Amino acid sequence: MNNIKRVLTAPSLSRLSSTAPAEFINRNPRNLEKIRIARKPDGYHLEAAGRKFWHKLVLTASNRTVTAQVVHFVNGPVIEAKTSEWALRKQLYSIKDTCAYINLGKVFAQRCLESGITEMYCNIKPVEGGKVDRFIKEVVNGGVKLEEPEVYKKPNPWDLHRPEKPWEVAEE
Amino acid sequence: MLNSFRGVWGANIQLQQIRCAHRIRGKAPIFCRTIKERLDELNYKDEIYTTKIDIGLPQMNKLSESSRRSRLDHLKKIKADKNLEQLARNHTLEIDLDEAKKEWLNTLGPQHKKQIADHYGIFEHLYGEGYFIPYLNLEVLYDLKNGSYLPVYTGNDIKPAEALEYPIVNYESDPDSLWTLALTSLDGHLTEGDKEYVHWLVANIPGNSIEKGDTIVEYLQPIPLKGTGYHRYAYVLYKQDGNITYDVTKVTAKSPLEDRTFVTRDWYQKYQDNITPAGLAFFQTNWDLSVRDFFHNVLDTKEPVYEYDFPKPYLRPQEWFPRRKAFNLYMDKYRDPKQINKEYLLRKLKDEDPFKAPPPPLKFPNAQPFPKNMPSWLRLHEKKIRLGWGRVNDV
Repeated sequence: MNNIKRVLTAPSLSRLSSTAPAEFINRNPRNLEKIRIARKPDGYHLEAAGRKFWHKLVLTASNRTVTAQVVHFVNGPVIEAKTSEWALRKQLYSIKDTCAYINLGKVFAQRCLESGITEMYCNIKPVEGGKVDRFIKEVVNGGVKLEEPEVYKKPNPWDLHRPEKPWEVAEE
Repeated sequence: MLNSFRGVWGANIQLQQIRCAHRIRGKAPIFCRTIKERLDELNYKDEIYTTKIDIGLPQMNKLSESSRRSRLDHLKKIKADKNLEQLARNHTLEIDLDEAKKEWLNTLGPQHKKQIADHYGIFEHLYGEGYFIPYLNLEVLYDLKNGSYLPVYTGNDIKPAEALEYPIVNYESDPDSLWTLALTSLDGHLTEGDKEYVHWLVANIPGNSIEKGDTIVEYLQPIPLKGTGYHRYAYVLYKQDGNITYDVTKVTAKSPLEDRTFVTRDWYQKYQDNITPAGLAFFQTNWDLSVRDFFHNVLDTKEPVYEYDFPKPYLRPQEWFPRRKAFNLYMDKYRDPKQINKEYLLRKLKDEDPFKAPPPPLKFPNAQPFPKNMPSWLRLHEKKIRLGWGRVNDV
């Protein structure tokens, strides 16, 4: 488990330019998570699984409403969509039926993409063809990936292989 | 607050976390505090530092009694709609996403935007203890030149090449009201980590016609440096209560980067009696080729390239007589890695002839016999080089 403050900053070494300073600090708290080198909370191996994530999809159905949330491991819920909010309720016949789940999935996926959170952990095991399954399918169709990449581990000089650096793959 | 944090950071040495043995350290689990309790205690901050101040506009359209009643009527109408019921029962009821978005912007949207902006640390780095709820929807659209537009929402990814020219900005406003629009990079400052660059600053915008405003700082494309990851760029729209002349030096597109140094918090503090933040949109961006072009063509300098500074791998102190360790591998761990890499490089260059084609790679590298009198550690070493395992990759 890490103190979040540590993860936020990225001191780096300059290679080519002589005029630019040797160290650069990126304050973006989501940066290291995006380039996959932030630490994930591992938990203990005797604990129930489901804690190893940066962002997690949580779907809660109460008696009156269905809520979909993106939960961050430190910041708590950061994106939210409910069927009982007026934007959805206005056009839904019922806010608990299958259609509600389907449309909630669409709206939720849209909000995730707009907020730049496109990958998240999800440990929901839905019943095939059920409401939750339809919801998850809509979220995936909306362009959200329901698994998080592994943390990049820097290889030691004596290690066998040198895995590609994820932040250099997409460039150039 | 930030300064002290930075100082602490500089003094800290980042160490790799290691676990030497699998044994329970400290108190037994039933007696000790949970990791959550310990983290909460570590991360505890006094109220003075965590209290936030709302600096934004008050909520504009609160839910009135009449609209509440009309909502109830609408729900009754929906429940009586046989057609809608049939669609819902057949699982084919699809809501209009655009309309849902419009309703969301008028109701819960501002709160949700504030929530996600907090997650990205936008307010903390713009205003310190200040925050605002962006009740006014700020639409920012980058023209992609192929007939489509790329909107800026709350943290979506936009490449610098897609944001070369200033965007179309749209918001609801009276034609006689005056506005200020600022685009700042929260992470991009080259020399001072806690400052920003202002990429665009337009003041005294009448209504929503940006062209009629006074451009104080001309638009500059995002410049996230190579190797530094994702940078945040935030558009903030301020409502003015009269004509304002900002005490900011005019910056053109050709000015050096230092002229764009900006601290939103100090600037806002100076003019807070006359301006109020109302709208927010921000995006994230990472390096692409247009950043290199900018450094080469506009600033006429080398492009700075960075690499993440990983903590050094942990090595236990060297021993005189290490037990059960291969001597060559053990000794290599404590040698200068540069020297080792040089040896590998020299070995590689020894057989290379610049005027001949390199020999084809061995088809079955492990089937090549070694000399009979070769020691086993050297055989393994050679085998690793043939197979491309380990340190040979570092050259």
